[in-house]
Amino acid sequence: MAETKTDAMIATQPGYERMASWPYFIWIVLLCSLFITILIWVLSMLFNAPLEEAAEWAKTPNPAKAPWYFIGLQELLVYFDPWIAGVLIPNQILIGLILIPYVDTVPEVQGCYNYSRRKFQFLFFTFGISLWFFLIITGQLLRGPSWEIYWPIIDYPLGGNEWIYPGHPFKASQAKLHSLSLPVGITISLIGFVIGMTLPVLIFKNYFKKLGIIRYSLVMVHVLLTLAVVGKIFLRLFFGIKYVIVTPWFNI
Amino acid sequence: MATNLNDNEVSFVPPFLKKIFEYIKSTVVWKSIFRVGYPDTMPKRMAVMRSSFYMHIFPTKVGVHGMKIKYGWCMGGITFFLFLLLTVTGILLMFYYVPEEHRAYNDMKDLRYMVPYGVVLRNMHRWGAHGMVFTVILHMIRVFYTGSYKPPRQFNWTVGVLLLLLTLLLSFTGYLLPWDQLGFWAVTVGTNMASSTPLLGYEGPFSKYLGIQIDNDIRFALIGGTRIGPNALVRAYVWHCVGLPLIATALMIFHFWRIRKDGFSGPM
Repeated sequence: MAETKTDAMIATQPGYERMASWPYFIWIVLLCSLFITILIWVLSMLFNAPLEEAAEWAKTPNPAKAPWYFIGLQELLVYFDPWIAGVLIPNQILIGLILIPYVDTVPEVQGCYNYSRRKFQFLFFTFGISLWFFLIITGQLLRGPSWEIYWPIIDYPLGGNEWIYPGHPFKASQAKLHSLSLPVGITISLIGFVIGMTLPVLIFKNYFKKLGIIRYSLVMVHVLLTLAVVGKIFLRLFFGIKYVIVTPWFNI
Repeated sequence: MATNLNDNEVSFVPPFLKKIFEYIKSTVVWKSIFRVGYPDTMPKRMAVMRSSFYMHIFPTKVGVHGMKIKYGWCMGGITFFLFLLLTVTGILLMFYYVPEEHRAYNDMKDLRYMVPYGVVLRNMHRWGAHGMVFTVILHMIRVFYTGSYKPPRQFNWTVGVLLLLLTLLLSFTGYLLPWDQLGFWAVTVGTNMASSTPLLGYEGPFSKYLGIQIDNDIRFALIGGTRIGPNALVRAYVWHCVGLPLIATALMIFHFWRIRKDGFSGPM
């Protein structure tokens, strides 16, 4: 019956304490609304919304930055082609988020902050959110002209110009990049995929049994895709690898 | 539980004013609007919630657990309140703004320097919008960490993800409207990504086999041209002020209806 518990059914459970919405709940809503209105109003009196010069097609600013909530995707453009960074990854994030309630089926752990009984869910979600905000902070605060790494606020490249030499991973425009050949790239990706899919089955047998093959596959594909994004960032930064897989139609 | 809560109350209201209040409260007009009377007993408290259309969005009784600030952070409610605040300020801004290539930027300048309180109006819309994006993300994080997406609330999480996406799109379409360098190039960067969509964007993989070019791909459909221009401005405006808010409202009605039916999440 846990599948279809409604408010009325929960309310009949012993130990479930309820109180009248009027005035307690209404009071919280009213105070909260007032607080937010005052907060936004005070902010608006203190800080003006940004307004730059009139739009001009001929004057491209360097760098041209996306709004802060999309800048993580723009930051990924350093490491991926636009069809992955701008289309595939955001869509996959949405699909992954929507899948969460359908692959995580431990109904008893809900309605409280509980780390110990859902460690994997906690860790993976926290990792994903942290990665998203890490990319936003990097893109928003640390990227300057030509999308090079800059100190935040100060208008100066990280460590000065001499420190950044050609081939250094932080100097995006001058890094010497190479790509893996197609057979090597495919082999590495396949090995990573097969190991990634089978290793948890062997280590966490109960977990696999509980989830079933479909849920397990959905979860692991998304975990591996997330790790692959991080892996590609490392390959690009520390080994100067531009593409892992090169085909005539697309590059990854 | 029918205890009268006003028994020992000390009154600071002069007697003649009290008499006037009593008279007003006894009139037919007053009673036709406030049908339950002051909700000072438990049955009246239940009735006042049940009989009002607007109050009916709240349950008559709520679980104590779900009400705690440290549990829910009020983030869903704050997000909705910011949506209302943005609707009000947005409607007022529409009085002063015309989405036309040569006028839009001048209207922004007028809002800052000519319209009384125009600068505060625009600032409130701007900071409120950033706030809404931030609070909706925090709301999602809270719902995940408390496991509140679990049965029977799975599908409401899906609707919530769509509302998150709509919030981002609402903010993104609004970004172009000032028609300044900041918004213009941010939206250029953003929409350029659409041209790389596999199959549907002219720079994307495999699209050349479908005859997709710069003037018939998905980016062209989004911005109504091959670059951000007057058509893109009108499209951003219509999506921002009409299309997306309507879709978001429809989804919000569903979202809140399900919360109302399933109650706030709590320990099972």
